[in-house]
Amino acid sequence: MSELLVRNAYVIDPLSGIKGDVMDIAIRDGKIVEEVGRNAEVIDADHCLTLPGGVDSHSHVCGTKVNFGRYMSPEDMRAGRTARKGVMHVTSGYSVPTTFGNSYRYSIMGYTTILEGAMAPLEARHTHEEFTATPHQDMLANTLFDGNWSIMEAVREKDVKRAAAVVAWTLSAVKGFAIKLTNPGGTEAWGWGEDVHSILDQVPHFGVTPAEIIETMIRANELLNLPHSVHIHCNALGVPGNYRTTLDTLDLVPDLNDKRQTLYLTHLQFHSYGGSTWKDISSKSEDIARAVNNKPQVAIDMGQIMFGRTTTMTADGPMEFKLYMLHHNKWSNHDVELETGSGIIPVYYSRKSLVNCVMWAIGLELALLTKDPWQCMLSTDNPNGAPFVKYPEIIALLMSRRFRENELALLDPRTAHYVPLPAIDRELDWYDIAVMTRAGQAKALGITGVGKGHLAPGAEADIAIYPLKPDSLDPSTEYQQVMAGFGKTRYTIKRGRVVARDGEVVVEGANSTIWTKAITPPEFDLSVDPEFVKKFEQYYTVRMSNYPVQDVYLPRGVCIATEASL
Amino acid sequence: MKIEDVVCTFCGCLCDDLVVEVDGRRVVSVENGCTLANEKFMGDHRLQSPIRRNGKGWEHISYDDAIRETAEILCDADRPILYGWSGTHGEAQSIGIHLAELLGALVDNTSTVCHGPSILAIQEVGHPGCTLGQVKNRADVVVYWGTNPIDAHPRHMSRYTTFADGFFLKEAFRDRRLIVVDVRKTESANIADEFITIEPGGDYAVLSALRAIVRGKREIIPPSVSGVSREQLFRVADLLLSAKFGAIFFGLGLTMSPGKYKNVRNAIELTEELSRHTKYTISPMRGHWNVYGSNEVFTWITGYPYAVDFARGIAFYNPGETTSVDVLRRKECDACLVVGSDPGAHFPKACAEHLARIPTIQIDPHTNATTHLSRIQIPVAVTGIDAEGTAYRMDGVPIRTRMLFKGEYPSDTEILERLYTLVKEAKGP
Amino acid sequence: MNFLLNTGRTIRQGSYVERKNSDAYKGEATSLYMHPVDMMILEIEEGSHVRVESNQGDVVMKVHPALWISQREVFVCLGPYANYLVAPETHCSGMPDFKSTMVTITPTTDLLVTVAELMERCGGVRYED
Ligand code: SF4
Ligand SMILES: [Zn+2]
Repeated sequence: MSELLVRNAYVIDPLSGIKGDVMDIAIRDGKIVEEVGRNAEVIDADHCLTLPGGVDSHSHVCGTKVNFGRYMSPEDMRAGRTARKGVMHVTSGYSVPTTFGNSYRYSIMGYTTILEGAMAPLEARHTHEEFTATPHQDMLANTLFDGNWSIMEAVREKDVKRAAAVVAWTLSAVKGFAIKLTNPGGTEAWGWGEDVHSILDQVPHFGVTPAEIIETMIRANELLNLPHSVHIHCNALGVPGNYRTTLDTLDLVPDLNDKRQTLYLTHLQFHSYGGSTWKDISSKSEDIARAVNNKPQVAIDMGQIMFGRTTTMTADGPMEFKLYMLHHNKWSNHDVELETGSGIIPVYYSRKSLVNCVMWAIGLELALLTKDPWQCMLSTDNPNGAPFVKYPEIIALLMSRRFRENELALLDPRTAHYVPLPAIDRELDWYDIAVMTRAGQAKALGITGVGKGHLAPGAEADIAIYPLKPDSLDPSTEYQQVMAGFGKTRYTIKRGRVVARDGEVVVEGANSTIWTKAITPPEFDLSVDPEFVKKFEQYYTVRMSNYPVQDVYLPRGVCIATEASL
Repeated sequence: MKIEDVVCTFCGCLCDDLVVEVDGRRVVSVENGCTLANEKFMGDHRLQSPIRRNGKGWEHISYDDAIRETAEILCDADRPILYGWSGTHGEAQSIGIHLAELLGALVDNTSTVCHGPSILAIQEVGHPGCTLGQVKNRADVVVYWGTNPIDAHPRHMSRYTTFADGFFLKEAFRDRRLIVVDVRKTESANIADEFITIEPGGDYAVLSALRAIVRGKREIIPPSVSGVSREQLFRVADLLLSAKFGAIFFGLGLTMSPGKYKNVRNAIELTEELSRHTKYTISPMRGHWNVYGSNEVFTWITGYPYAVDFARGIAFYNPGETTSVDVLRRKECDACLVVGSDPGAHFPKACAEHLARIPTIQIDPHTNATTHLSRIQIPVAVTGIDAEGTAYRMDGVPIRTRMLFKGEYPSDTEILERLYTLVKEAKGP
Repeated sequence: MNFLLNTGRTIRQGSYVERKNSDAYKGEATSLYMHPVDMMILEIEEGSHVRVESNQGDVVMKVHPALWISQREVFVCLGPYANYLVAPETHCSGMPDFKSTMVTITPTTDLLVTVAELMERCGGVRYED
């Protein structure tokens, strides 16, 4: 039995309704408890801001495409190197750090749970191998279904239950967590060098539209009673005028779940563009935020961009090619048979680029104009908008109007003409930030039940204590301190153990992987379905028996099992 | 006992459809595999126990002694190199890299003498690729450039390209066009719709000519480019452009010939050029069954696919300097651990000579050329037969190899874990 | 007579790769493929032994006629015999010139050496089961 007592903590725990109380937190054997004995080890938090461990609900840190981002970018690897030190392994990389680099840097910032935003089922084993080498965070994997042949066939047949069965088989085979749709239909079209341009375009050869895929998958998801909703990267990412596609997508969303949103729309900054070319691109954040405010059944994340160098990587292969045609730097693409695709290019977001300035403003606007912080998560779509180490700076921008004004003054002067940001006064408070960086994510992902994102007795003892004293600090003016404070915890506690202190990782980690298994009635068991088996016999290049991810790849797997309503 | 869907741990095709019959600790028959697979699974000529060089002869020693002595040699060395890795599973590779980190050693894998130049090219211009099933289901034009799959990847054509029926190509052999480019008329060239013979060293120029034609600059092409006639170049360019989905595969003919990584870069840029007109992908024909896995594991741990030097504490990468052949040529390293490869056979003579000069230890199931250069060899189980673990196919698809029976040999992972523990104890915290 | 030495994989070399100390492997790895016209000029026949020499050293190989190779070029599968001739220079690329070594070929009556003998010449000590 190990016991720990955190004393004098200034706690904000939104899911428990605690909005800034000084209190003690008792921990036994990795869980929060009501109280501990007198021999418990004591940490004095000294009135510092104490939050549940950070949860990132959309980040690219592990798997085939992330590793290829490293593989092709020695210049990025050189841009962030640390030597072996104590229990810390060597790390390399700035925008796409090595797995240990990701894990240490997140841990130092107080993050204890990360969802990998895109895992191709065929290559899931790779993602899980890297999860194991990301030891300080519990990991979850969004699983790509955007170009899945079996899904599109079910959509064509208008057979929601069959779509649900395909999802159930696949998630449990590849130990995935949730349904991800990246440019639904577009990744299959890209198999022929084509794309879809609106939610009503036909996918070549399959006779379905993105809208039909989205609607079917939303219903299939609810039939399976999965913890998270469908997680979508909308069509037409990064295209001027794409806010219409985004609004069209928002219009599709019914309200089917009373515990959480029915659709999670990721990196919405990239989907909120007005104008018709790169010359007249403008912010449509107000239209998008209005739609989000009117629809409690959706949640979004920002996809904030920050100026500087980074690497873009997504399953959206056609979009990356378009981006390459603009930047002409280097381009990688990786289509995955019967399932999805991906692309990677390095980019540099510049204050001298009006387009980049508009993008920067849109992300912030979405966060400031969405009224309910539970509906908008803080994210950069790491590393697409910026590496996650920029989160503290984003927090500071959201909390300080003055900081935003100082930054705006450095941008292309035409920016103000295209964006509403200068007119927005709102400054987020500590509670909003606590929601947008952990509680909101945990709720949106549906993992509060496995003890994530809150500090009530029974929860996982994942805690971040920041060197910030909300009682005496004014974020509006002292934003530099806010930035520094969120960059480096005094203590990061993971499952009851101090894992990082003052910027250094102090123990070797041992994380869990959270995955879902929807239990379906026997008539929906696809492992004996002739059509489904035929896909493996004839079209996949991997045998069906070699496809599922074996248990050895999840040394500490946590399975969330659900009973499907089929 | 017959075991189905067995994974072949020979070449980068990583075929996973073999049926292997096992009787106790013996493989009795292999179905579906090619000649190379049959030789691999049926072979039984393992080194029996660890051996140590003893003056002008050799003696058998225990695993304990062999591992302890290896740890001592590595700890004593100022500039050890840990080389190989492509012939073992990912879990062992991972321990090997952490061992190098602990020792401040150089660690390199066999890409250094196969597709290392391809990696350098990809680091310059990227890599538009895909999984092999994408080619099988869609490609109507297939190009093999400087690679001879019939000899080196015998089932590549039947599983993934020319002879493999796919979803959009019901009769592959009839519906696909095959282009082979080589300096010699290989077996693969015999079944091509177009065979281009290039003068040795002429790949770069021919690739440039094709790029120019695809860009619409036919008028600048001279009558002959590196032995290839203008007429054939036009014909081939038209064929390339006629594809709905084109797939280019390339091999050591580009990476080892004059121009090396620049050849590969040019091939990738041709692919990119073609992608502006229609769908194109390009893929290196990776040789060892898990050489791509070594690149993957190296990359997620160190940030670089090969040639990583930990001497400065950080991971340092500078191919041409930190690559094995260069380090051995400079006679720089003073101990070498070889795992899952045979540099004695595959490095230039001068490198083999240096391996003989320094204490070289080999972890390998079989005796090979490196055996004679070594001080110690430790036999291990063969991954895919009596050991298992992760492998990455040439296109990046990860597959778990199978253990067909539990044999008497320890796996690479077990040996390396023991070595790691000993070195860690010796080095202190 | 001078030739350009090319190397590559062959299916036999691959088949014997885990038996590098066998006669079969030796047979394949010492097989040198040459255009018949060049063989005529050198006045040698199928199976003749030749001494192949580069600026790195020399090694004995056995000639086979091949029409798939150009004149003044020879092919040997990759392996220790071919590599005995290849220079370790990589021009800062990490990769030696495995496919473009200049060699001089002369007829000889010397015998082929085993892999073990070849490695001894590199400074090793032969191991025999
Ligand atoms: S092609 Fe390669 S992987 Fe497939 S059976 Fe032959 S040697 Fe094995
Ligand atoms: Zn993303």
